[in-house]
Amino acid sequence: MPAVRTVEAMMLGKLDWSAIPFDQPIPLIAGAVVLVGILGVLIWVVVKGHLPYLWHEWITSVDHKRIGVMYILLASVMLLRGGSDAIMMRIQQAVAFQSQGYLPPEHYNQIFSAHGTIMIFFVAMPFVIGLMNLIVPLQLGVRDVAFPTLNSVGFWLTATGALLVNLSLVIGEFARTGWLAFPPLSELSYSPGVGVDYYAWSLQISGIGTLVAGINLVTTVLKLRTKGMNYLRMPMFCWTTLASNLLIVAAFPILTATLAMLLLDRYLGFHFFTNEAGGNVMMFMNLIWAWGHPEVYILVLPAFGIFSEVVSTFSGKALFGYRSMVLATMAICVISFMVWLHHFFTMGAGPDVNAIFGIASMIIAIPTGVKIYNWLFTMYGGRIRFETPMLWSIGFMVTFIIGGLTGVLVAVPPADFMLHNSMFLVAHFHNVIIGGVLFGAFAGFEYWFPKAFGFRLDDRWGKLAFWFTFLGFYVTFVPLYVVGMLGMTRRMQHYDVAAWRPWMLVAAAGMAVLTIGVICQIMQLVVSIRNREALRDRTGDPWDGRSLEWATSSPPPVFNFAFNPDVRGEDAYWDMKARAQQQSLEHGGPEYQDIEMPRNSPTGFVCAFFATIMGFALIWHIWWMVILGGIGAFATFVVFAWRDHDEYVIPAEEVAAIDRVNLEERRSLVSMAGAV
Amino acid sequence: MSDQTHMPAGHDLAPGDEEQHSVGARILGYVVGLALALLLTATSFFIAGTDLVWQPSIPVALIVLAIAQMGVHLVFFLHITTGPDNTNNVLALAFGLLVVFLVVGGTVWIMAHLNANMPPMDQIMPMRR
Repeated sequence: MPAVRTVEAMMLGKLDWSAIPFDQPIPLIAGAVVLVGILGVLIWVVVKGHLPYLWHEWITSVDHKRIGVMYILLASVMLLRGGSDAIMMRIQQAVAFQSQGYLPPEHYNQIFSAHGTIMIFFVAMPFVIGLMNLIVPLQLGVRDVAFPTLNSVGFWLTATGALLVNLSLVIGEFARTGWLAFPPLSELSYSPGVGVDYYAWSLQISGIGTLVAGINLVTTVLKLRTKGMNYLRMPMFCWTTLASNLLIVAAFPILTATLAMLLLDRYLGFHFFTNEAGGNVMMFMNLIWAWGHPEVYILVLPAFGIFSEVVSTFSGKALFGYRSMVLATMAICVISFMVWLHHFFTMGAGPDVNAIFGIASMIIAIPTGVKIYNWLFTMYGGRIRFETPMLWSIGFMVTFIIGGLTGVLVAVPPADFMLHNSMFLVAHFHNVIIGGVLFGAFAGFEYWFPKAFGFRLDDRWGKLAFWFTFLGFYVTFVPLYVVGMLGMTRRMQHYDVAAWRPWMLVAAAGMAVLTIGVICQIMQLVVSIRNREALRDRTGDPWDGRSLEWATSSPPPVFNFAFNPDVRGEDAYWDMKARAQQQSLEHGGPEYQDIEMPRNSPTGFVCAFFATIMGFALIWHIWWMVILGGIGAFATFVVFAWRDHDEYVIPAEEVAAIDRVNLEERRSLVSMAGAV
Repeated sequence: MSDQTHMPAGHDLAPGDEEQHSVGARILGYVVGLALALLLTATSFFIAGTDLVWQPSIPVALIVLAIAQMGVHLVFFLHITTGPDNTNNVLALAFGLLVVFLVVGGTVWIMAHLNANMPPMDQIMPMRR
């Protein structure tokens, strides 16, 4: 028997049938439903014969627009997963008054850990990276990002991370440590299961993807800009993209190193963060927040860029204080590296340290305030159109100011000693992340959807989704501020204080309203796809936009622009429209030229396939499989590095044919306007 | 950032994307770099074990040699120059140095301060200002 055991251990590592949670119906049923869903979609794709299309046009695509759309799709699916966790938590806290509720502690702990991890790493990050991928090259007037294949690798590695996190639902368990896996709880002695390993390896793999995306976008903004697009003519979204990706490049290695040290502790018996043998637990808090605080700005800066574009477009005015906006963005980029201690004021540091970091945390509110005033002044005197993206932007301004004010409050160390790890803090960071990042992502989604797919989203459902989400947010999170003031700490599986109960019930009701908001959003997508012919936008410029992405057709051709646009000022496309440069170009009969584009490549997908195998094997200690995955990933890299043909040529005639359709639409638009 | 800047074909160069020097000049550059790097490495190993110099100066010397080593790598292998074609690379280096300084310096300061608020209450009360 022992010999069999050893062979089994060699072949399967820690994996056996006990990893499948047969005794826990909730994850098992949820997992089964998702599995059936995925299988159903797969079978439908194969039977309908969509597989070759999917493979050639999407999975292997190196087109920044397609990759951007896939990022956003991933984020949307993960938003549903993270949202389900949120619903389960709100219900648990609503019913677990003087009782155990319906979720046992070990399951509840996994749920709040997964909720945080998924929402930050697999919803917020892919959503903003997806929007940046989709729009930034178009706004810069170029044909693609700097490293198209690397872009695909980055996306598929992010997807690998998301896959591993979700796999933990049915095979094994997820971390029970909270979304940042603080030691010593996350060390082997207190978390002997595979939960923390699932957490750490999925973040390591998707972290590579994020870093790659960051390098790619920094290079794109710095090195690839169309003629005349100098730094101070770039749209605001490009500036915030630059700042955000500089932060990714600077901060994500800290996360990778910190998690690597935790993994060394867990796998090879090191003592970086253990209680004994010279380890220092507090070093983990220090390092993880040195990444964690810039991360907050990595997420919210692109959202600020989206709001700048939306507010300026729907007010029909140039952005107020463009240069102060640039300065504020870059100031935030630097100051965000000087505030991380405010996440652990209570850790034991003395008044000098706490005071300095407290003041720095208050200072970073100043450039953010500058931005708010700039948006308000952009709206002032403008002819505001209250379309759905604009509603999200105004909702953001109101919500984010409240979240920012509570943020300044917890930046005061003595106040933080009272509020640390309370529900007040939970309410605060949901206030800024939902009100800032999620509203920004939705605003960008509504604003740029017509650009990506060539038809608008249904207006009525969009506005309903906004109002339900907006109200649902307040009904859910204002009660959390209140119970925080009443002394409730975060992550409680059950409680006995009667005064908290009514507020938890209100918060659960708010969650129901938020859920209706999400359903409206899904309905909006379904209804819009059904009515796409009625909602079709043939002009490529449905919102009367100001920047270059609106100068090409919707959806843009694979090469984006038949000619690299010539930029002569801020608000490049507005400028062109004003000077009617388009018409003169049309009458001139442009000389089309051949365009070289990068070939599609399965490198990203194959690489991620092997990374998934490797990650899974590392989590379960299946060493032969780790080696297999490693060799596979390396071989993929070698094959890619030695490829012969990396580009293909779109002949001038084809470019001309595609571009003429676009010009025809625009000309008819101009002549229609002339007739009126 | 001047208004005359015309992209897209790239005004300044990426690391490794050098101007067209002859192969000989480039090889010479790498050989000089390698020699300097080896010299600095050898000196570090020598200094670390020697008793020919005043002992407390050894750590300082090692730090100086390490920084010189970084300089050699930046100049000869990563081709950081002060030329106008190198602005992005120099700015990126400066940003990187700033972040490293903030994170490392901040960490040292914070970790040294860790126990300031942690002694038992009877010791902490007299410390109050």
